[in-house]
Amino acid sequence: MTSRQNSEKLVNQMETFIENVRQINIMVCNFQPQAQHILNRKIQNIVTDLQVINNLKDSVKDMRIPVEVLKYVDAGQNPHLFTKDCIDKAMIKNQELKGKIDSYKKFKANMLLEINKYFPKEVEKYRAIRNDNNDD
Amino acid sequence: MMSDQFRSKVEQYSPKSSPRGARSPVVSRQDSTGTLKTTISLGKNPSIVHSGPFYLMKEPPGESELTGARNLMAYYGLEHSYSKFSGKKLKEQLSSFLPNLPGIIDTPGDQDNSSLRSVIEKPPIGGKELLPLTSVQLAGFRLHPGPLPEQYRYINQAPQRKHKNKHKRHKHKPGEVPSGQETTVTDIGGADTHEKKHKKQKRHDEEKEARKKRKKEKKRKKQKHSPEHSGGLTPSQHSNS
Repeated sequence: MTSRQNSEKLVNQMETFIENVRQINIMVCNFQPQAQHILNRKIQNIVTDLQVINNLKDSVKDMRIPVEVLKYVDAGQNPHLFTKDCIDKAMIKNQELKGKIDSYKKFKANMLLEINKYFPKEVEKYRAIRNDNNDD
Repeated sequence: MMSDQFRSKVEQYSPKSSPRGARSPVVSRQDSTGTLKTTISLGKNPSIVHSGPFYLMKEPPGESELTGARNLMAYYGLEHSYSKFSGKKLKEQLSSFLPNLPGIIDTPGDQDNSSLRSVIEKPPIGGKELLPLTSVQLAGFRLHPGPLPEQYRYINQAPQRKHKNKHKRHKHKPGEVPSGQETTVTDIGGADTHEKKHKKQKRHDEEKEARKKRKKEKKRKKQKHSPEHSGGLTPSQHSNS
């Protein structure tokens, strides 16, 4: 089973657990004596759900979560904001690096062009050493 | 004692000044002009490379396949994620990420000690086997009939969600100004939708008025043809003319 399937299974199990607790909450808020039997069954369901969740913990051991995500969740914020932030930062860094590389390429080409005006023989030698026939 | 002996031995072998001056005895030097045209690299495999006629010329760094010049989003197949997150504005609340979770979850976790960080810092005691409750243990969950006391009901509150303002009760007449309470409610929700609704209302009112005018004109025409018509202008016609 893949890690994705494992995590989905765990999520489903946790949802079942939460739903069970929610139903108990509703029952308890306005308790009817005839519901005692159902309540007992639901409490047993809670134990069973916890057992299943406990057994599933090993299947998601290899899953890595950035600590920063927890900060977002603890602050009551959407963790997708973290993903968005990461993507934006990566994109900006990528663009910056591309800009730098392009600038250096242009600089090299211009420099060779200018040097070639005054030292054509040396530039020719340099290009021969570098196997550089292009102007860039 | 030992260290003194060692030092005296080393001093015997290591000359304080090289017999050839500052030059390394290993490297034979053909060039005596003073310009160094070799590259000496140290490390595990020391080597001396003649780098040609240029002073301080170095080998260019090895080209790596993946650099910042490439669109890394496309390279790693993350374009879909990028367009998904960069395009639209995300809802900031945690409840929009977990819409099916009951209760109020948008409040900071520190307030009710429900933060995930606290789980890491103080891991819960585990290791014990989870067993179903016995009938004796279940007896502890026998409840009294009736509603729960007020102080315990807060958990039952559903999270307040921002509903889209549905102004179904906008039945005020065209001349009427909407009451203050109504306007404040709409301001909280979404001013844009309110404006749209107002525009619709306005359009509707204008249509009504136009219909009325047409009816009036028809009446006037009828009156013109009728023998009772005096031929004078009404005050409104005066003002229009």
